[in-house]
Amino acid sequence: MKTLCQTKLALPLIALVLIAASAVATSAQDSRLQLSSLDHLAAKASQTVDVNIDEKLIRIALKVFSDQDPEEREVKKVVAGIKGIYVKTFEFESDGQYTAADMETIRTQLRGPGWTRLVNVRSKKEGSLEVYLLMNGETVGGLAVLGSDVRELVVVNIVGPVDLEKLVKLEGQFGIPELDLEPAKSKTKNEQ
Amino acid sequence: MNDDYLWDKSGEPDPQIQQLEEILGTLRYQPKPLPLPRQRNYRPWLAIAATLVIALLATGLWLRIQNKDASIPSVAIAQQKAPIIGPALSVSSASPDTPRKPTPRTVKYDRKEAIAAKQQLMFALRLASEKLNAAHRRTQDKRSSYENTLPN
Repeated sequence: MKTLCQTKLALPLIALVLIAASAVATSAQDSRLQLSSLDHLAAKASQTVDVNIDEKLIRIALKVFSDQDPEEREVKKVVAGIKGIYVKTFEFESDGQYTAADMETIRTQLRGPGWTRLVNVRSKKEGSLEVYLLMNGETVGGLAVLGSDVRELVVVNIVGPVDLEKLVKLEGQFGIPELDLEPAKSKTKNEQ
Repeated sequence: MNDDYLWDKSGEPDPQIQQLEEILGTLRYQPKPLPLPRQRNYRPWLAIAATLVIALLATGLWLRIQNKDASIPSVAIAQQKAPIIGPALSVSSASPDTPRKPTPRTVKYDRKEAIAAKQQLMFALRLASEKLNAAHRRTQDKRSSYENTLPN
């Protein structure tokens, strides 16, 4: 019996375990977050935005970017190498529509290997804002932004290498209307 | 003639019958073990190879399903109240690798699809950028307010 286990079962099992382990390790390095746990909030939200852009769609989009336009050239540089962009935002009409557990499902993933919390700002007035980076050695392999306010929840996940400096500079360009996601502070500042 | 010998080997035997017995006796059933074909040696490498193949197939299938799910492009902007972002964009997925006959209609459709994808991309990048700037701004604010509290 011992011999049977050792010869007939042990080797294939070891092989299977090794394959499974390598598959898990590979998927652990992927910076894509599973955001489907937040889907149930859509029913409570007054507005939901769900953006799923994978590599194929990025390639399709890049077809219509102009090389003549300096701004679009800049976006092309930012997007180069990115494998996907996933966004979920929920806006609620009343307080307490989502729980800490909802945020925790995302944070748990961001505690995985490679992820580093770059920024964590919390305030009662403006809610919390967390920025996470997935580091592959010295390069950024992914980005995650978690923003939560009493009536708002935002998760942005960029998969692949991101140039943060260039990404930061994109705000307010391309004629895209202001989303008014940081209303209180930014407006008062601008008005002053 | 007494036939008892034929029934129970009692009585006087008939020499002819004895002779027959001797001749046929050689063909009598001889108990011996059944010769089975030699059992094949178990080959562990075969099991490993089979496991690897199955595992690879399963992984491939899983990745394919994952990619399929991921490649379903979607921007869903569900609005129950006031619209902020604008009309919902819908883009159907068509692999750019799939060869298609470029008719004017498909070219037009491809362009529409690309423009919609571009809009989604811009929106996502814009939002990411805005959030990063907000994080930067807020950390700067905290820092300056902390510095102001320090004694000169």
